[in-house]
Amino acid sequence: MYSYVLKRLLSAIAVLFGASLLVFVLVINSGDPLQELRESNAENVEFLIQQRIAFMNLDEPWYSRYWIWLTGIAGCAVGACDFGTNMSGQDVGAMVANSASSTLRLVFIATILSIIIGILTGIVTAIRQYSSLDYAVSFFVFLFFSLPVFWAAVLAKDWMGITYNNWLREPQFSWTQIIIVAVVAAILVPLIIGGSTRRRLLTGAAMFGFVLVVMPLMDSLNYALEPRLGPAVITLLGIGLAFGLTALLSGLKNRRVLYSALTVVGIGLVSYYATFWLLIEPPGGWLTVIGLFLVTIAVAVLVGRTMGGHAKGQAVAVSVITAALFAVMVLLDHFMRAWPGFLGMKPRPIATIGSSSPNFSGDFWEVALDQGTQLVLPTTILMLVSVATYTRYTRSSMLEAVNQDYIRTARAKGVNERTVVFKHAFRNSMIPLTTIVAFDFAGLIGGAVVVEQVFGWSGMGNMFVTGLSNSDPAPVMAFTLITGAAAVLFNLIADLMYAVLDPRIRV
Amino acid sequence: MSQPTPPIPPEDVRSAAEVEDAKLASAQRSYSQGQLVRKRFFAHKPAVVSMAVLVFIILLSVSSIGFSGQGTGWWSKSFSATGLTVDGGRPTMFNAAFLGEHPFGQDSIGRDYFAMVMRGTQQSLLVALGVALSSTFLGVLVGALAGYFRGWIEAVLMRITDVVIVVPLLALAAVFGAYAQGLPGGTLTLALFIGLATWTGTARLVRAEILSLREKEYVAAAIAMGAHPARIILKHMLPNSIGVIVVNATFAIAAAILLETTLSYLGFGVQPPETSLGALIQDNQNAFTTRPWLFWFPGLFIIAIALSVNFIGDGLRDAIDPRQKRSGANRPGWRTAFGLLGRATAEERSGKQVSELSGGPTQMQPPAGMTDHGPDFGHDPTDEKRDS
Amino acid sequence: MPAPVLSYKDIRVSFATEFGDVDAVKGVSFEVMPGEVVAVVGESGSGKSVTSSTAMGLLPESASVQGEVLLEGRNVLKMSTAELRRLRGSDISMVFQEPMTALNPVLRVSDQLVEALQVHEVAFGGKALEKSIELLERVGIPEARTKIRQYPHQFSGGQRQRIVIAMAIACGPKVIIADEPTTALDVTVQAEILDLLRELKQELNTGILLITHNMGVVADMADRVVVMLNGEVVETGPVAKILGHPEHPYTRRLLAAMPLLREAGDPSLEREQEQERVRVTERAARETSHRAAAGMSSGAASPAPAALEAKDVALEYKFRRKATRVVHDLNFTVQPGEIMGLVGESGSGKSTVAKAVLGLLDVAEGELRVRGENMPALPSKQKKALKREIGVVFQDPAASLDPRFPIGDIITEPMVVHKEGDKDSRMARARELLDAVRLPSSVLNRYPHELSGGQRQRISIARALTLNPTLLIADEPTSALDVSVQAAVLELFSELQQHYGFACLFVSHDLAVVDSLAHKVLVMQNGRTVEQGTTDQVLRHAKESYTQQLLAAAPVPNPETQARRRTERQRLLAALG
Repeated sequence: MYSYVLKRLLSAIAVLFGASLLVFVLVINSGDPLQELRESNAENVEFLIQQRIAFMNLDEPWYSRYWIWLTGIAGCAVGACDFGTNMSGQDVGAMVANSASSTLRLVFIATILSIIIGILTGIVTAIRQYSSLDYAVSFFVFLFFSLPVFWAAVLAKDWMGITYNNWLREPQFSWTQIIIVAVVAAILVPLIIGGSTRRRLLTGAAMFGFVLVVMPLMDSLNYALEPRLGPAVITLLGIGLAFGLTALLSGLKNRRVLYSALTVVGIGLVSYYATFWLLIEPPGGWLTVIGLFLVTIAVAVLVGRTMGGHAKGQAVAVSVITAALFAVMVLLDHFMRAWPGFLGMKPRPIATIGSSSPNFSGDFWEVALDQGTQLVLPTTILMLVSVATYTRYTRSSMLEAVNQDYIRTARAKGVNERTVVFKHAFRNSMIPLTTIVAFDFAGLIGGAVVVEQVFGWSGMGNMFVTGLSNSDPAPVMAFTLITGAAAVLFNLIADLMYAVLDPRIRV
Repeated sequence: MSQPTPPIPPEDVRSAAEVEDAKLASAQRSYSQGQLVRKRFFAHKPAVVSMAVLVFIILLSVSSIGFSGQGTGWWSKSFSATGLTVDGGRPTMFNAAFLGEHPFGQDSIGRDYFAMVMRGTQQSLLVALGVALSSTFLGVLVGALAGYFRGWIEAVLMRITDVVIVVPLLALAAVFGAYAQGLPGGTLTLALFIGLATWTGTARLVRAEILSLREKEYVAAAIAMGAHPARIILKHMLPNSIGVIVVNATFAIAAAILLETTLSYLGFGVQPPETSLGALIQDNQNAFTTRPWLFWFPGLFIIAIALSVNFIGDGLRDAIDPRQKRSGANRPGWRTAFGLLGRATAEERSGKQVSELSGGPTQMQPPAGMTDHGPDFGHDPTDEKRDS
Repeated sequence: MPAPVLSYKDIRVSFATEFGDVDAVKGVSFEVMPGEVVAVVGESGSGKSVTSSTAMGLLPESASVQGEVLLEGRNVLKMSTAELRRLRGSDISMVFQEPMTALNPVLRVSDQLVEALQVHEVAFGGKALEKSIELLERVGIPEARTKIRQYPHQFSGGQRQRIVIAMAIACGPKVIIADEPTTALDVTVQAEILDLLRELKQELNTGILLITHNMGVVADMADRVVVMLNGEVVETGPVAKILGHPEHPYTRRLLAAMPLLREAGDPSLEREQEQERVRVTERAARETSHRAAAGMSSGAASPAPAALEAKDVALEYKFRRKATRVVHDLNFTVQPGEIMGLVGESGSGKSTVAKAVLGLLDVAEGELRVRGENMPALPSKQKKALKREIGVVFQDPAASLDPRFPIGDIITEPMVVHKEGDKDSRMARARELLDAVRLPSSVLNRYPHELSGGQRQRISIARALTLNPTLLIADEPTSALDVSVQAAVLELFSELQQHYGFACLFVSHDLAVVDSLAHKVLVMQNGRTVEQGTTDQVLRHAKESYTQQLLAAAPVPNPETQARRRTERQRLLAALG
């Protein structure tokens, strides 16, 4: 295992070396970095030219320029990276430090969200193969595959960003809007849930009524400006989750699973109050939040194992998912508490430019909200293609798995469809998907270049585009190296995931 | 077999061997490979509609302004000639009886936007086609050599592939695009160079395909009879992976359209004075609130082209690999789709072939080698459609 | 008379396909009594599997079923999905053909067995695990307590089939449907699995519906037999009557087509041995006269070179630079005009030997001489020339012909490769060969998918003979074919061999097929030679215990003989410990 990882890393270094050489040669030959200065009629033009030559080592032959860059990078091995300087003498290492975090945040969030959304949609469409939902999703998948990201981004800025901000000035739903939402929900939800005609009509009617009650209620509570969940709603939703997940993953007949999920909800309610003041201004920032989350998961595992009895595995799974979603609700509650204050500082929350508002200061939640609202549009746009990819591959992978012999064996045992799908087909269908994760991550980095350009972020993508258009190798190489390393890392993780999911593979 | 040969038995007791020979003697021919693929493709309605849309767009872009783009077709305006801006450059096709003076409006310096969009469409299609061709050629070459020869040839070729893959595709294509700017040949050179960045998906796919074909007994038979590797690759292996390659190339065209427009948007694609759909959007994105048509028309053309090519690819894949068929009669009606008809009847939902039925000549099996990739995995995850 | 546990009444099944509806089953009725084994036999396309699966409700959605399937008097076809689910695995369970794919690869065996028990609320948790271990022990998995924690891929094919059987009997079903349960297994493993099923049936008084194409298995297991043809039942009756005195012509022909493993004293043997003696003497005489004509003194002359000779051959597979040796110290000689049967079970290395002779695999050690020349060591030009002398027929009729080539091009390909003849003479040769394999010359322009499996194998044979080779390598050429098709192909093969006089390395797992064809036999196990000699020596007077086991495990289509052979086999195994 360790020797496998080591071998992979060594070959990755060789590959990165080759890639860097390729990119370096192409970039320095793509144009003349002194062009603009030669045409310039500034007084100190001679000095500027000399300065640029020195910054970029233009007086050296290409191999020696590459060698200088390579030895600088090799310093990383001893903790002294030197990414070189760009054409105007800025240290590229410092540029990377400034820009990498926002780009990687964008890409990571987009990756995780698209995996979750894409896989869920894929499973639903696979189960409802040939339903109108399947066709609709298929159409959107193809549409997303065919959508130019930069074009969609401009639309999103206008439709999602500006419209929402305008709406927030007077956040009331009109009856037309309410009816439309109700009709959409009444059509969509039965399609996802499925069942007999009677059941579909019933769920449709229920959804219609539900929306008709809830949306005016939200209006009257001024929910858009002062949203809140509160312990009561969280607990109710938690209990609903416990029942729903148990029904989905193991069946309500399995009392031990249900009880352990309910126990988790109880513990969650207690810890909601216990951590309330701690979370009002968390001392360690995100570290505290993540730490608490990990504790939550550990407690859920413990509850599942002790209460699960013979259904230990399912109990742990249901408890963990319940706990995780409960924690997300608690987090949401805290964000909602900070929302009115945040709106006071930033009345038009959904931003279309930049990765954070300039000169913004506030408490932990407000800063997080600021970064979050800046991320909404770029992430959504970046996710479109990824979600489509995951949906498509999950769907076909599930359908492939469902047609295997062992699924027939499971059915012949008398196992119900739910277990067939979630226990037997799902895990097998995840195996080929691990390879997609690695490829998709590389794709998302490419997408990030465009998205940063559209939303005016000064991230790594911007560094790359500026560097390339000036035939300035250092920033381009830094981009190549970091994205390449990230791609290698994701590939390695994907391979290890593969080995975890498939017992036949041992690395 | 020491049994005396019995007299010709009556129809119902003939053994399987005799039944088969009798079938062969009756001159009834079954569908050929190509006929079947065509039949299935034309049963795939979205693909057929897309085909019509794509042909229309191509004809429109070529016939309207001609190959030169200087009004040599039925549309007399040039894409580069400036002029007076009429009515703020608003499109005339919505108020005039037919098209009008400037159907898509005019840009800020009075150029006819219809001619520009047509020119952009031509250029984008040209690049996409060039990219798809060059990357498919290179990918097939590398994949076939690596898959057939194994050993050090494969090791070297796959390391080269890794080197290309490790750089994000869009970034590499941008680097190649920037490099190609300095070279003569304009759009075609650009297309060939972008192809140098996008061949890896095809190469891996073809390699996997060749590897699986190596295990086929007819290839083993050809090796055993002493056939030259070139003959085996060209006569046996590539013809049997042609379906996968064609499907992949189709998706590559769709991806290349998006890649080209994205590169042009970033400034590494088609260079002025030439234009492309991506460059048009780049030029006019800030005009979205004031003159939205400058933004809408090129965008809609990109989507129309990419979407129809994607649907054609989907139709081709279903036609070539019928294991996951969703064509023609197998599609459920709308009531079934909405779940209002209860369970679909057998006629509406045709599933897999049953093992016992899959023998005879009328029960066409997909050609060997095409069955070895997953149903909707006709194209490798490495292909480029996500990078725009 | 007791009530039948399972009865099919006028079952009709049709499938919706791309080409319209296909009727797979056309009104089939029969029943299974408690504790009775009913065998449904027929060739592919007879509808035997489809009919049986209707009882489980597991047919694909494109199937529409009519008629009644009564399980203890309740009509399965009228049940709701929930009712059907409660039935599956508890009242009626199933054993499938492919043990390698029947178990979920990512779940532990314990999970899959426990699930079977928990679904029907037979036992839960620790109790279910205990019960699962008992079940595994019952079906003969050694060290069940530790092995139950393993994944399916850690078990052999036979063991996996045992696990599937354990799952099938977990809830004490009234009837088990076994769909070709031993087809994918080696013959010795097949015998063990059949023994297990027989024991379980007696212990649990379960009815077994056995679907098979193998008349030997029928003779070994069945109480009653249902013979199916093209979706209809042609004959049913007690096993002794169907196998001993079949009435329907189809059943008779089916039985006649079964290749037979003859025992010592079989009258047909004597005649054959006489022919063999003549053949050997003639060859010796021919060689002497040949030598005399060449004017050589008999002492100094080397005999005519063998068609194929292996000297201390070792073969290896390389994977990631790690070599695994799969064949050790192999020695044999195939004289011109001689057929040598190479038999063994899966993993014995028999096909690897064929691959090496064909040049598809490098020889790690030793010499592989074709007509006296060590082929692997030859420079490539001479090697290619020598390849003219070797023809090949593979196992899989679906994969052995390039689907993109018309039949004419397939047959003439060896001539094209070796640049022999022009277009006309090639086509003339193709016509000649088609005639020899009894296919009309109109198929020249057709494509392989238009032909059936047996016809494709005949095309394969024709291609192998195109250049008049002295040596033919046949790698399981008939094992993918139906019995009657196999009989026709074998007959043709042996005629062609007599006519063209090629030597042949005939690789097969089926001792009966080898017996009907080969002059010599070589038995392999785990890459090593167990025994070799003339067919008569090896198959009727075997010295090695492994050969004896192999012979004893092959079932014959006669219930009485088979019962006797079964006891003999058990005695043999007991003696070996």
